[in-house]
Amino acid sequence: MRDILSLFFAYAKSGLKSRFQYKLDAIVTTFAVFLREAGGIIAMYLALLKFDTINDWNIDELLFLFSLIFITYGIFIVFFMALRDFSDWIKHGDFDRVMLRPRGLLTQLVLCGADWLAALGHGTLGIVLFVISASRVGIQWNPAMAVYYIIAVISGVLIQGAIFLFFSSISFYVVETGSLKEIFYWNMRKFAIYPLSIYNRVIQSVLIFVVPFAFVNYFPAQFFLRKADMAAYPEWLMYISPVVGVMLYLLAYSFWRFSLRFYKSTGN
Amino acid sequence: MTRYLSFAVIKFRSKMAYRFDYVLGILDTLLAFVVYWSIYKALYAGAGEVDGVTFSMVTTSFLISLGLSAAFHKNEMFLQDKIKQGTIANELLKQVNFKLRMLFEDMGEGAFHVVFNFLPTAVIASFFAELKAPSGAVNVLLCLVSVILGYIVLWEISFIVQSWSFTLFSVWGLITIKNVLVNILAGAYIPMWFMPDWLRNVIRWTPFDAIYFTPVQLYLGELAGIEIAFHFARQICWIIVLGAVGEYFWRSGLKKLVVQGG
Repeated sequence: MRDILSLFFAYAKSGLKSRFQYKLDAIVTTFAVFLREAGGIIAMYLALLKFDTINDWNIDELLFLFSLIFITYGIFIVFFMALRDFSDWIKHGDFDRVMLRPRGLLTQLVLCGADWLAALGHGTLGIVLFVISASRVGIQWNPAMAVYYIIAVISGVLIQGAIFLFFSSISFYVVETGSLKEIFYWNMRKFAIYPLSIYNRVIQSVLIFVVPFAFVNYFPAQFFLRKADMAAYPEWLMYISPVVGVMLYLLAYSFWRFSLRFYKSTGN
Repeated sequence: MTRYLSFAVIKFRSKMAYRFDYVLGILDTLLAFVVYWSIYKALYAGAGEVDGVTFSMVTTSFLISLGLSAAFHKNEMFLQDKIKQGTIANELLKQVNFKLRMLFEDMGEGAFHVVFNFLPTAVIASFFAELKAPSGAVNVLLCLVSVILGYIVLWEISFIVQSWSFTLFSVWGLITIKNVLVNILAGAYIPMWFMPDWLRNVIRWTPFDAIYFTPVQLYLGELAGIEIAFHFARQICWIIVLGAVGEYFWRSGLKKLVVQGG
């Protein structure tokens, strides 16, 4: 364990150093990521000045919902960037290098790459949103609530990690998976930011059963907020939220182990 | 002129080589529309109109903005890449105006995205979304003219930011920030009607008002007579002002340009 931690810190140090080589550029880039992600939220804020609520959610409740998706992505991208860009690893033959080293494959991939600027941009936005909204949405914060929140965040990270672990495994069969990721992750994420109940049934089902983003932010947020639109879904969905991440990750992990034997190097 | 047009045609054709990108592009555009449509459907919650604006006016304005965004889908790191790689030296030696060539290549790429991403999206959207028909043939024509003028305003803003790559390490961050400003202030993320009054009054004095919203108003027939002339005049004013600013940065950048190696 100590070994793994020291590896992580060594990678983190060199990663941060190289990204902050040009300090001003790193700061501007981080701010740009922050602002790009905040764009939709600013638009929502302006719209709610006129409309007050969307499906009975007011702006503070929405900010609380948004915060979960950005905090989880900020953490996700620290650990799973290598999996996000895994088809490049295979294409360039970098994966062979990983195989030759005396540590677990996935351990190395998870520890080595972090998109620090994205992590800072998304993470800061998530924390800012959380700080603004957490005290204004009427949650009675107690240790149990805090524990649920932390577990929900970890689960949200694992859900997104599992999605990418799944895509990475597919890279062993077909090298290029960029389009799959575009459709099933990035596009679905655009939907997932807003309350699930505003969409039609098909989109809702996809976000619950296929690419389960609903468990990253909507159901955990409902656990805290209990908005009326939860009536459309079985109540137990908000309680299983923390488990979904672990289950999905284990599933993706066994698929990864299974697919690994089909790996063929692309050469140099 | 035909020389520049052929730049546009070549770019258009080269884009056509990636067949699967069509499907992705349509999906991308359609999804963006569905997200907005769902948000505003929920916001309207069955209300006939809000501040005199109907739901179908909102969806139509989003669709028009999406069309313009599709037209503006281009590689905004073009100039920086050319400068970083030093290939700008070869480009400058050619007997073509670099800026014009860039404009036409971008228009070729934009035309591709309009034809293969936006138009299919618009057709699909018309099956499920409440869209408003244009208020007349003349309005469609006026709308198209203002779309082209709006495109040039947008292109010039992008060129100004790109031209800073002569002095900056990377313009990616600034381009991203610029795009957020354009998307919000020009009304691509939120219809201009619903902007708070104070913000609306600020935007009136910026080029952002001359990009998406003028075409939308013309399409819906919200402008008449002298107002139309005023809006066109304003678009042309911004084209001249921003064009001059871009030219200034371009020239002073070229003076500083040092290309290493060859």
